[in-house]
Amino acid sequence: MQPFSYTRARTAEDAVRAVAGGGQGARFIAGGTTLYDLMKLNVETPDRVIDISRLKDLDRIETGGRGELVFGALARMSDVAAHPQIVAEYPAISESLWRAASQQLRNMATLGGNLLQRTRCAYFRGGEPFACNKRKPGSGCAAQGGIDRGHALLGGSDACIAVYPGDMAIALVAFDARIDVLGPDGARTIAVEELHREPGATPNVETTLRPGELILRIRVPRTAIGRASTYHKIRDRESYAFALASAAVALDMDGETVRQARIAIGGLATRPWRARAAEQFLAGKTLTPRTTREAGDTALEGAKPGHNNAFRIELGARTVADALMIARQRA
Amino acid sequence: MIDMPFPDTIRVDAHDKVRGRPIYGADDVRPGLLHAALAVSTIAKGRITGIDTAAAKAVHGVRLVLTHEMMGATKSAGFLMGGGYGFQSLQPMLSPAIAYRGQPIALVAADTLEQAIEAAHLVKASYAEEPFSVTLDAPGVEVVNQADTPLKNFIPEIAAGDADKAFAESPVKIEAVYNCPPQHQNPIELIATVAEWRGGRLTIREGTQNAEAVRHGVATALGIAPDQVEVISPFVGGGFGQKNSLQMQTVLAAVAARETGRPVKLVVPRAGVFHDASFRPASRHRIRLGADRSGRMAAAIHEIDAQTSRHDLFPGEYAATSSRLYGFANFRGVERLVRTDVQTPGYMRAPFEHPACFAMECCVDELAYAAGQDPVALRLANDTDTDAATGLPFSSRHVAECLRRGAELFGWAKRPMAPQSMRGADGSEIGWGVAIGAYPGLATATIARLKVSEDGGALISIGGHEMGQGIRTALGNAISRKLGIPVEKVTAVIGDTRAAPQHLTAGSWGTASAVPAAEDAADAMLKALAELSPGGVANRAPADILKAAGRSSLEVEVQRKAPGQSDAIFGRLRAGLPSIAGPVFDSHVTFSYIAHFVEVVIEPGTRRIRVPRVVSVADCGRVMSPRTAASQVRGGVVWGIGAALREASEVDPRYGGFLNADLAEYVLPVNADIGSIDVAFIDKPDTVFNRSGVKGLGEVSMTGVAPALANAVFHATGRRLRDLPIRIEHLL
Repeated sequence: MQPFSYTRARTAEDAVRAVAGGGQGARFIAGGTTLYDLMKLNVETPDRVIDISRLKDLDRIETGGRGELVFGALARMSDVAAHPQIVAEYPAISESLWRAASQQLRNMATLGGNLLQRTRCAYFRGGEPFACNKRKPGSGCAAQGGIDRGHALLGGSDACIAVYPGDMAIALVAFDARIDVLGPDGARTIAVEELHREPGATPNVETTLRPGELILRIRVPRTAIGRASTYHKIRDRESYAFALASAAVALDMDGETVRQARIAIGGLATRPWRARAAEQFLAGKTLTPRTTREAGDTALEGAKPGHNNAFRIELGARTVADALMIARQRA
Repeated sequence: MIDMPFPDTIRVDAHDKVRGRPIYGADDVRPGLLHAALAVSTIAKGRITGIDTAAAKAVHGVRLVLTHEMMGATKSAGFLMGGGYGFQSLQPMLSPAIAYRGQPIALVAADTLEQAIEAAHLVKASYAEEPFSVTLDAPGVEVVNQADTPLKNFIPEIAAGDADKAFAESPVKIEAVYNCPPQHQNPIELIATVAEWRGGRLTIREGTQNAEAVRHGVATALGIAPDQVEVISPFVGGGFGQKNSLQMQTVLAAVAARETGRPVKLVVPRAGVFHDASFRPASRHRIRLGADRSGRMAAAIHEIDAQTSRHDLFPGEYAATSSRLYGFANFRGVERLVRTDVQTPGYMRAPFEHPACFAMECCVDELAYAAGQDPVALRLANDTDTDAATGLPFSSRHVAECLRRGAELFGWAKRPMAPQSMRGADGSEIGWGVAIGAYPGLATATIARLKVSEDGGALISIGGHEMGQGIRTALGNAISRKLGIPVEKVTAVIGDTRAAPQHLTAGSWGTASAVPAAEDAADAMLKALAELSPGGVANRAPADILKAAGRSSLEVEVQRKAPGQSDAIFGRLRAGLPSIAGPVFDSHVTFSYIAHFVEVVIEPGTRRIRVPRVVSVADCGRVMSPRTAASQVRGGVVWGIGAALREASEVDPRYGGFLNADLAEYVLPVNADIGSIDVAFIDKPDTVFNRSGVKGLGEVSMTGVAPALANAVFHATGRRLRDLPIRIEHLL
């Protein structure tokens, strides 16, 4: 680890000012579950770390509002996962949190940091000798032609196929959640779906956040379809593992007919992936093994397999199909 | 007394462990301690042409940057299987040669760990690269027939009858190839050393299964006398064979401590442990089984290709176990070693026996289906009392009882034979599988000193290491029963070269070696007490006898050989060299056995494989400590489930080394992956093997789990999956 200065910010404005003025080497830190890990690997080498973990009021979980739920960016994953109202009314969000990481990590990690969790691509994390355009722009992508069992099938480019590893963002995208951010030029609100970029030619630029911008809050529009939702996560072991495929699904049913479906998939793409074509396909249909499967296939449309990951196209489709049936039982 | 089972004593160190009281090697802190970190090779093979340490040296707090140019007269301590002390013959940093990616090229010692890590990242080397091969089939590997090497002198080829002829003549033939990937032990305690010089004496504190080899090995490497070195290792935070000999970090820490004049702590981080210590090599098994139409096996041929390094031949002993599973009148084993550009692989729990049993027991299941026989019935029909390879009787063998009791506990009788015949309510496919496992009965020479004191306590100083298996509890039970002293008053000093010679504890011989020696020591003590007490010792506590005789304490020392060993073995024992006998003795052959019954449930959609229950029945001779023995078996079953469904060290042939080198990506099972594990023991002492009737348990408990699980997957799905691990993608 290279030496770095540590400052505890007293206000969000202070924090933003410090990071915006700190140049390339300044980072916010809250739970530290991603940043410290990458610092120990020498992948992240900040020279300034601004601690935002004690900023006031940003750890609130507000579920009383009529129009939306509001989660402070510093709310801990474990607290939101266990919040009774979220468990009951938005099971997909609760499940996406408690099926992520381990209890110890969830006790430390904050929602804002979780949204920005960086990829687990071994070639990214491994440092030298692996080529990685995300870590070292222009060096190439060792994952292509390498062991790509866990790499992205959707949203990749010639420069990068690293998968977006997070779970909660998948559920948030399905619910049209937005985030409030504060930057040196003021505050703005953007859709979570607009937060993460596909790698294109610049995989080192992972989000649409501007330099110094800090996530303050997550806003989830109130919706009755939250109750009939699930986050279904398929992985190599039943805890402490990233998704081979996952699906956040919510349903609004009119008897046996789908009035509206929300589908987002995780573990399969370079960013949280809303599957609108699959949602449209299901509108007005009844849920049968055939229609759910077709929705799954539609969600995976355009998937490009590599060497070891083609099975996850099939797995992804089946994960969506199973998730729809789980959500159906909650409708 | 030998006929009485031992009580279910709690483990003697349980309370201390849950309170975090045991001090492990890397827990040690002392004044002036420096922290060390390693810089490692980014190339897979070649030579260092230049190494720039200026930036590293400039980091605040750095006291030493050590490279191959500064190691003086340090030499390799040699390979454990070549008469030396190390896990491999290559001691890194003695030359510019690079044999594998991840090989250390420099050590930095600094006032803080953070400084050491920062500086290690700043060491820059330039290299001349050479072509390399890291997989069994890569161009450039060298295949060595083990029988053409000197290894044949101590690992004989296994052969009985004429297996090729018998196979050719068999009406039912099965031929199949099975693959096992490289794996890493990943003990939670990383490999680590604290080295400190005082005057001319070196003290090493680290978790090791072989304190005596560390002592003699580091002395050899540094060119000092072994009596200048002491090694202290009271607890090992998991070893599983990875800590069975001198590791490369011990020598580097000792040199760094010598050069700086300060104690040095070197903890190898997780990614380093994937490259700086041994692992289970990749292996491929081609099995041919010939049987008559009833499934009675007439011939087995087991050919193995197993990975080794360029610089060492890690011997294969796969057929030594597969040949002992059944009464194969005709058997032929072929062990081939494939030289690849990796660190030397080694003895990961059930090193040969897990892969060998996986291959053979899957093949036997295939035979059962080809012959239309129930898999348990076919196994019972092929049981034997005699070892075909030697013609000798087994000292004890309760395979049939393991199978019968296991079948009853599991409810095997209700199993329909046909694959895909059991379904869950949600459409899941359910399968039941069985397999047996075996592990050689081994024992080592052991020296023990036993002291009783007027305060009522007993102290045994003995060769042995506590790596979680519970050897202190087994020793406590043995001494307690013999001397009538409560188990909590028995203290065992182990893992300490100051106490007694510390032979390697591995190969499931720890209890079978230490407990008989402890009982010998207890007998010697009873005799010595009798001499103090003309009125007899019956029903009198040792402390009372001591008090009556006006003595504060009494000490005896015994040394015990394994069967067939000469007194010269004690010289080897004191020199830290392997002093092991078995499984073939003059009059008998000894193996431990186990039978596993496994249920799998495979989800209809996403095809996750769940393992709701396992029943395991073990034949390990006398159970010395029911509590820790059952725990050993459950641990072995968890390892087997991991090996069958999850664990594989990934290799990218373009880069060498291992890719998934951390605990998030190397997929060990978690609690949520494990269902119920019911454990039962035959608990019949094998007094032919040793006076205590104890056979090994730790390793046999893992053997046979993976094939039972793979056979259950076949029963559930009708698919024969012959490569481990079995994952979702194989069942979609």
